[in-house]
Amino acid sequence: MAITVKRVSRHVEQTSYVKATLQGMASTLKQMFEPKVTIQYPEQRWELSPRWRGTHRMLTKEDGKARCVACGLCPSVCPSNCIKLVPGEDENGNRYPLVFEIDEFRCIFCGYCQEVCPEDAIHVGQHYENSEYSREGHVYDLERLMAQTHPVSTLWDATDPRGE
Amino acid sequence: MATKTRTIEVELSTSGLDRSGKPQRVPLVTNDGGVSIGIPEPLALEPALDGEHMLINLGPQHPATHGVLRLVLELDGETVVRCIPHIGYLHCGFEKTGEYRQYNQIIPWTDREDYLNAPGNNVAMALGAERLFGITITERCKVLRVIACELSRIMSHLVWLGTTSIDIGAYTPFLWSFHQRELIYQLLEAWTGARLTTSLTRVGGLMADIPDGWTDNARSFLAGFDKVLDDVEKLLTNNGIWVGRTVGLGVMSPEEAINWGLSGSMLRASGVSYDVRKDFPYLDYETYDFEVPVGVNGDVYDRYLVRVEEMRQSARIVRQALDRLPDGPINVDDARVILPSKTKATSGMESMIHHFKQVMEGPRPPVGEAYVAVESPRGEKGYYMVSDGTAKPVRWRIRPPSFLNLSAIPKMVEGHLLSDVIAINASIDVVLGEIDR
Repeated sequence: MAITVKRVSRHVEQTSYVKATLQGMASTLKQMFEPKVTIQYPEQRWELSPRWRGTHRMLTKEDGKARCVACGLCPSVCPSNCIKLVPGEDENGNRYPLVFEIDEFRCIFCGYCQEVCPEDAIHVGQHYENSEYSREGHVYDLERLMAQTHPVSTLWDATDPRGE
Repeated sequence: MATKTRTIEVELSTSGLDRSGKPQRVPLVTNDGGVSIGIPEPLALEPALDGEHMLINLGPQHPATHGVLRLVLELDGETVVRCIPHIGYLHCGFEKTGEYRQYNQIIPWTDREDYLNAPGNNVAMALGAERLFGITITERCKVLRVIACELSRIMSHLVWLGTTSIDIGAYTPFLWSFHQRELIYQLLEAWTGARLTTSLTRVGGLMADIPDGWTDNARSFLAGFDKVLDDVEKLLTNNGIWVGRTVGLGVMSPEEAINWGLSGSMLRASGVSYDVRKDFPYLDYETYDFEVPVGVNGDVYDRYLVRVEEMRQSARIVRQALDRLPDGPINVDDARVILPSKTKATSGMESMIHHFKQVMEGPRPPVGEAYVAVESPRGEKGYYMVSDGTAKPVRWRIRPPSFLNLSAIPKMVEGHLLSDVIAINASIDVVLGEIDR
């Protein structure tokens, strides 16, 4: 069913700019007594959603090593090809990442790496302030990914069953 | 004209890094040896000057062109004689990149082409892929997708309302509408973990279910939203300045609008009641109770009225969808396309193998092609994909509504003043990411 929108029928000359301006100012003035909606960043911080997909973080095992087993799922699913992974193998035959680099500058923060990770190793997290002075500074190596401390996204995680 | 040859180096998007770790570069066209294809220099498109006419560039860096649109205007005094739009400044190669991505990997790409309507694009892409795969999605997924589509329509129209009012000289509606948009962003942030680039859908379902208490937040947003829309209308609809700056500008008659291929609010403002949601329903839109607003004169003022009314109708649809939201799974029970849940994938060998095969090889649709059209905030948005049976589409094509809407701008601005070009261009609601793709 189509409805026709209502149009004002009066002519342009009949309208008064003064009246319109005063009306507008009255409406705007009313807003001064409404609660504030702005925050004073960076003094005040916005509380991010627990599902926020931001800067990556590599979780570690009890012995302090990365959980990653270099299975190669995240570089193959990454739509922007920002993950560089070179797998290695220790004397016990366990795979681990020799090189694991994420270019946060190239990353589009879709979170697919976390979605496919079978070891809960790579995560996107609740962090967004990653400015750097150079492009190279955006390439996070394994140590830097493990050194991140921000909380990780609860998407695709057992802690948030509805997001799994 | 002599043909000059230019060398183009293109970074291969999928092969990634070469042995030394640098991005691989392959010359497509070479001057000597190899493949040599002559690309003629572009023809001079600027109009020839005669008499007292003046030629000016509006854009591509002008904020009132809503992106990187360049309009070459031929002026007689302050009256526009001719207008030639130049596009392509935001070309990102989405369609070509899509040919090297699995269907699920294309979904983040759709966030970025029409960046004001990311959830709606995700839904359209998923619908197209599902048509290709022959999948029927679950009821809960359908309703959640409707909610996402309509929230993103409201969001997009709010951006349009704010920026257009700022172009025409009213600053307050901009702040109010962007506050409302921020509230929708908070809803999307809680749901998907991102505000602008949602990547909401997956083939056969959604990335995540809504978190607990989300529907209450959505309802409280809708309760406040109508009041703000009333306030904005109070400022604009009967405002003499607003009426004077918009009435009678860029008039398109119904016949012209159809002949120029307009769609969406542009077409409806001209009095043609065409809405994909009504005429070719998807996601069970025929079961929702909503009206299609239609304009009378087809000018900028009618487009404003139609879009404001569309926001109200979208809010109506979201309310109905929240009321009928059924329980149940969000993903189809189809192991061909859906990843096993994380707990399952990490606990069982079979699921783990399935998980790895699904990610490494990707879901494979049967050979065929699919076109799906949805009503985006800008008009009829189409996704067309051709499959040859592999995990990646052979061709992925977008039908961008604002490209066709923009094509009518030379006709609409002819004979109007330079300052009215801004208002007319704003009324089209162009998104250059979608036009240049």
